[in-house]
Amino acid sequence: MKSRTPLMTGALLGLLAVPFAVPVHAADADWKRGRVYYRFVCTDCHKQQPGGEISPTSRTMAEWKAYFAAGKHEKGKNSLRHFVSKSYRESIKGKNQAAAKFIDVPEEELWKDVQAFAIRGAKDGDAPAKCN
Amino acid sequence: MTRRTESRSGTGRLAAWLLAGAAGLLHAAAFASTADHSQFKQLQQTFGSGPAVTTVCLECHARAADEVMASKHWTWSFPDPHSGKQLGKQNVLTSFSLGIQSNNPTCNACHIGYGWKDNSFDFTAKENVDCLVCHDTTGAYRKGTGMAGHPPVAGMALPEGTKPVDLADVAQNVGKTSRDTCGTCHFHGGGGDGVKHGDLDTSLTAPDKEVDVHMDALGLDFACTECHKTTDHQVAGSRYALTAKDPHGALMRGKDDGRNPATCQACHGNTPHKAARLDRHADKLACQTCHIPEYARGGIATKLTWDWSAAGRRDSHGQPLLTRDDHGRIVYDAKKGAFSYGEDVVPDYFWFNGKVEHLTVSDRIDPAKPVPLNRFEGSADDGESRIWPFKVMRAVQPYDRVHLTMLKAHTTGNDEDSYGRDFDWHRAIARGMKDAGKPFSGEFGFVETEMSWPITHMVAPKEQALSCVACHGAQSRLAGVPGIHVPGHHGHGWLDKLGWWLAGLTLLGVVAHGAGRAFAHRKGVRK
Repeated sequence: MKSRTPLMTGALLGLLAVPFAVPVHAADADWKRGRVYYRFVCTDCHKQQPGGEISPTSRTMAEWKAYFAAGKHEKGKNSLRHFVSKSYRESIKGKNQAAAKFIDVPEEELWKDVQAFAIRGAKDGDAPAKCN
Repeated sequence: MTRRTESRSGTGRLAAWLLAGAAGLLHAAAFASTADHSQFKQLQQTFGSGPAVTTVCLECHARAADEVMASKHWTWSFPDPHSGKQLGKQNVLTSFSLGIQSNNPTCNACHIGYGWKDNSFDFTAKENVDCLVCHDTTGAYRKGTGMAGHPPVAGMALPEGTKPVDLADVAQNVGKTSRDTCGTCHFHGGGGDGVKHGDLDTSLTAPDKEVDVHMDALGLDFACTECHKTTDHQVAGSRYALTAKDPHGALMRGKDDGRNPATCQACHGNTPHKAARLDRHADKLACQTCHIPEYARGGIATKLTWDWSAAGRRDSHGQPLLTRDDHGRIVYDAKKGAFSYGEDVVPDYFWFNGKVEHLTVSDRIDPAKPVPLNRFEGSADDGESRIWPFKVMRAVQPYDRVHLTMLKAHTTGNDEDSYGRDFDWHRAIARGMKDAGKPFSGEFGFVETEMSWPITHMVAPKEQALSCVACHGAQSRLAGVPGIHVPGHHGHGWLDKLGWWLAGLTLLGVVAHGAGRAFAHRKGVRK
């Protein structure tokens, strides 16, 4: 039995190495996941508001970066980050499939994903994007 | 002895740790990509051109260029097994461009290669294969407008406002193809988003289930290659080799028996419905006919008409006219003519048996009636056809009055022959036909054309498939499709009346008989 210990430990260490074995860029933000969240959560709500949809191309990259850095939603009424938080996703998951799908994604990752999509999709971004 | 044993034991333990660790890493690798391209030294350099990247790709992917060069994506040419004609983008006519030969730098931005700007392009040069356009995962890669397939790169003389592509970053992040990469060209066919096909536009990059059940970003999230199964860079399911009717049931993945894996039946089989009556419909109807009730359903309009003869107008200041509609779509462009668009468009329906006749610039036409640029063959009684949904693109475009052939023209660029510069059709056509190597009499007119595009994407949820009355009602979608009797739609007034009279009389007889029996019974009881 004793001889199994190092085997098991080594195997566990190997498993722990999974996050480090993936490509460096895989650890970067997932802009495609950000796109889905942006379109199916952010846009889904915004299009029902008086201001309507906000396309990524409505702002420049610098404007998006500043917007995310400030982190204010509705002119400071709410924290912008609240809308990617797990508690927010929990609150809407019954009526929003994207929130339900990404319910277990760490908030930090999703926050980066959405930023990546918006900044890439900015009017001067690498891949200007609309809401649809 | 004891020490040696301990020593052996320690060595063995270390070996076990290493082996187990290695096994764990292998296990980890199985879940992750096996190659992190950002770690490759060859890709950690500044690339000045696309071919420079390809040269590095081919150091490892040695056969890839040969495979791509054997594909339609490279040759833009396809020998039609039915007619023997040479088809493909190099040869067929469309309503959306007046031939690629004299418009190469613009049209060939969608060629899977670098540098096809004229007939001198070297189709044998492997470094001309563009790996990145299909394998980019960053979304930042793009080919420049009018750059013959080259991406804009820092150091090139680029038009103002053109953002250069960081080729090293793209190359270090290559991966599998996706809807984004395929869509770079296929969503923008005809010169803009959703313009050409009607069932392919950028709404499919991250669609919801309503737009397409298979590509639903929150559901199945299929990549294009899920259906367009690709082997050795040969992509299955070309519109030049369609399967109109697939009676062979589900296709086991990996089984190579020459079947087209991109049919509905290849996954769903031939009896996918709970009701056998619906399965029997598939004998006459393509699945798409019921399951794609409308096309251009993703919020992006598709072009439905294009009148080239209307081009050339100027405003009161002598400037080329450009007009947009309320949605911001260009409905008139002096360089191109007048357009109309549609969203949620009900398809046209024809019999189709898998054979398509394409018109080429060498074929004679009859200008007295609309000229079909392609014709989907089929009939109700050939045993091979089913009724398919189509987008029909209607256009007005130039033809040769003497030779009675369709004409190609030089419509892009800003040189002296370009139609867009001086609005001189004669010069633009002469150049277009010269570049195509075809004769031009010098006399031209404009003729109405029609071009059909099969609708096969944007599959709606089953709840939104066509209801029975869409066909079996007075306003049937299949009205006008020859050779088929649609109960509920087709009928004879006198026969229907006779039927109702017979039914009424039968009911009356049953009631009378019942009443007689009841009367007789009561009479018998009294006695």
